[in-house]
Amino acid sequence: MEHEAVIGLEIHAELNCATKMFCDCPNRIGDEPNLNTCPICLWFPGSVPKFTADALEKAALTAMGLNCTIQDRSAFDQKVYYYPDLPKGFQLSQAHLPLARNGWLDIAGEDGQPRRLRIHKIHMEEDVAKLVHEMEGRTPISLVDFNRAGVPLVEIVTEPDMRSPHDAMEFIRALRTQIRYLGTSECSMESGSMRVDANISMRPRGTDQLNTKVEVKNMNSIRHLGDAIVYEISRQTASLVAGEPIVLHTRLWDPEKRATVAMRGKFEGPCIPDPMVPQIVVTEAWKNEMLAKLPEMPGRKADRFGRQYGLTREEALAMSAERDVSEYFEAVVNRQVAPRTATHWIAAQLLPTMRERNQSFTDTPVTPARFAGLLTLLERDAINANAAREVLARLFESEQTPETIVERYGYRQVSNADQLEGIVDQVLAANPAAVNDYRNGVAKAMGFLVGQAMQASKGKANPKLIREILTGKL
Amino acid sequence: MQTDAFTYLDPSPSVWGHDSVMSPEQGPLAGKSLTIQPSLSVRGWPADAGSVALKGFVALEDATVIERLKKAGATLVGTSRMSELGLGLAGDTTGRILSEGRSDMALMTDMMGEARIIAARVGAFAFKPSNGTVSRFGLIGLAPSMECLGILARAPEDIVAVMGIMAGDDDRDFSMCGSEAPRFDHVTESDDSIKVIGFMKEPIETLSEAEVRAFRGCLDRLEKSGFRIREVSLPDYDLFRSVHHCIGAVEASSSCGKYDGVRYGHRTAAAKNWNDMYLKTRAESFGALVKAYLFQGAYFQFENYGAFENACRIRARLVKAINGLFAEVDALAFPTRSGSIREVSAEDMEGLYDDFVLTLPANVAGVPAVQIPGYCTDGNADYGLQIIGPRLSDGPLLSLAVRLSKMGT
Ligand SMILES: [Zn+2]
Repeated sequence: MEHEAVIGLEIHAELNCATKMFCDCPNRIGDEPNLNTCPICLWFPGSVPKFTADALEKAALTAMGLNCTIQDRSAFDQKVYYYPDLPKGFQLSQAHLPLARNGWLDIAGEDGQPRRLRIHKIHMEEDVAKLVHEMEGRTPISLVDFNRAGVPLVEIVTEPDMRSPHDAMEFIRALRTQIRYLGTSECSMESGSMRVDANISMRPRGTDQLNTKVEVKNMNSIRHLGDAIVYEISRQTASLVAGEPIVLHTRLWDPEKRATVAMRGKFEGPCIPDPMVPQIVVTEAWKNEMLAKLPEMPGRKADRFGRQYGLTREEALAMSAERDVSEYFEAVVNRQVAPRTATHWIAAQLLPTMRERNQSFTDTPVTPARFAGLLTLLERDAINANAAREVLARLFESEQTPETIVERYGYRQVSNADQLEGIVDQVLAANPAAVNDYRNGVAKAMGFLVGQAMQASKGKANPKLIREILTGKL
Repeated sequence: MQTDAFTYLDPSPSVWGHDSVMSPEQGPLAGKSLTIQPSLSVRGWPADAGSVALKGFVALEDATVIERLKKAGATLVGTSRMSELGLGLAGDTTGRILSEGRSDMALMTDMMGEARIIAARVGAFAFKPSNGTVSRFGLIGLAPSMECLGILARAPEDIVAVMGIMAGDDDRDFSMCGSEAPRFDHVTESDDSIKVIGFMKEPIETLSEAEVRAFRGCLDRLEKSGFRIREVSLPDYDLFRSVHHCIGAVEASSSCGKYDGVRYGHRTAAAKNWNDMYLKTRAESFGALVKAYLFQGAYFQFENYGAFENACRIRARLVKAINGLFAEVDALAFPTRSGSIREVSAEDMEGLYDDFVLTLPANVAGVPAVQIPGYCTDGNADYGLQIIGPRLSDGPLLSLAVRLSKMGT
């Protein structure tokens, strides 16, 4: 019997609110341990949690950006468990009445066809403290850092719609794109601002039964998520073939062993309604206010880029997938640069150089204005493509305008016909073999001759004119 | 030998006056003394809520109500001795402090009727406000949805004055009721908005002969004073007790999760590992009655969640039923306490609930209740007259208390 995998994901994303969820402490996890704490997030006696509007707004925007329906009434529950990272004995979460339900994201399936993956619900939750295990001499000690306690999270629970590691990885990529667009979370699995758990079960292909699932945790990159699912599918398939039952449990991905390892039984406590935090009731007017704050999301933006700027589908997707790229692209295009030139130069030159230099759009010296200036020089034939690449490198190094760089370093393209004819004559005289080849119908000999002429001009010649003159003379 | 009635006395009651807006001589509560429980936070005061679990804990900030009382010039005398975490009244000295005249007023957590019962025992007035009227910031509680701060005083006017200061929105407690909050500046004996007083027939059936005699006599007196008296019925009345017990225990079990002995309170002397430390610390920290309550709460949380959900549903139904009664009558009268006065033994959870069976419905429904002495009497025994009103009718209820105190004996 052939089996297929049934995969659902549970994603925790930290919201980038200025404060924690139930107090005014700064939401900065990396600070000196226990710096960002107060009686509320230390859960001292007599403190009263104070739900912040910012957390609600960012959570609602996230849910709307993932096509979910915000529920008119939602409420916090106490998720009861006892562990040193949670000294009050319960975590405030929304178990019974979540903030939002019924969302979806589209991905490209393995066959390239679009696939819609459903989101079951999205709820708000406070993060717990962080445990740090150290040695004090020869005694193992555990330290608790409360900077993370009370940090606002959303938990996104999908339907079990995924069938392969590809689906799960694409879903997380799409989710990350959407949320980064919304600007509500950094969504980095590497830094822990996004944590993904996968629930995996197997069933005979073609049936719709839901069998006992195994939860896999501790993947800190999209690649690890894929690897862990691959491993788990083969592990469970082997069990099925051997006739062993699948038992409900949690496993941890071990990136060193490249395997999942069973974890000791996790205690699932009850959830009771919290008697301190009031229920959240949202009005239509508030929902409309939130809708108005939603940015244009990548799917719609890609459609518009195709329509408005005449980009191919692939180009439109490349320019719209990240919000900062899309905004940069439009800022360049608004400065009268041809959209396809902008696309090509952003994708092929700007982004790779920024990556090499470890820069982001917020800190790169190559502003849209300077970049557009460079492309305008290129489009007006004032410089050629070779020179443009070199000018770009200098834009990263100095504050000068592209025009100044072109003049100072002599990148201006030679378009003077007399000068170019002289060069062409020299090249023809020096390369009789190539001339012969061309005349005998070897088309690529032209390319060689153009190259020789460009070299003779130290790269400054206008390649279009060179080609014209060459064609005329041959 | 009698233990001292106070667990802490303010060594220099005038010292904190420096951060008051008004000096104690000027404020509206100038010259009025208040005793509180060590479950209400006063910056720098011990706040152990009567439990070893919080032994040595000193409050970091003033509770919102304390901040307001200080500004109004009230004198905070100190903290009374209280039962562990306010569960039951074993060892409570609030009544003694009031009857010995060592304080004009007292504040205590009212989770099932504690303030009203104590006041009835010593012939004083007590008031339990509507839920959402008085901030809970700084109150070390046990069952948040059941409890609020109760006030005891010898004169109802003092309660009105204190409520006027303590009540009102607090940006540190979002469960406050906001714009519909009751006001206390129009509370006078001339306010006669309560005209029809009802009484439920179901609780009467559980009273002793002497108690029934006292309560009937009380209703007669009210009728002669011009009130209309009407008998009403709430067939589910006996469910108030079960609902309170189940929900109260579950909430207590959750709220007490934070007492782990790590950051404050008692910590066990020797433990093998952290799990062992938690278990031993908690075993050593809580007394038998609290332990029994927490176990019952944990039972519903972990083993019988369905029963807890039912209790929540029944609670909603009871609130609806009692609101239905308030469409027929302006207020409802009960005796405050039954005749027996006893110290509840640690194991006797049912005995604890027996003592509060007449007062806990107001806590379950979140409605205001006032205890009035001198009306529900039989010979020398004063069982106390308890009147409860619709939610947020705190003002009219206190007007009634003032009016009855003037008509009094
Ligand atoms: Zn805090």
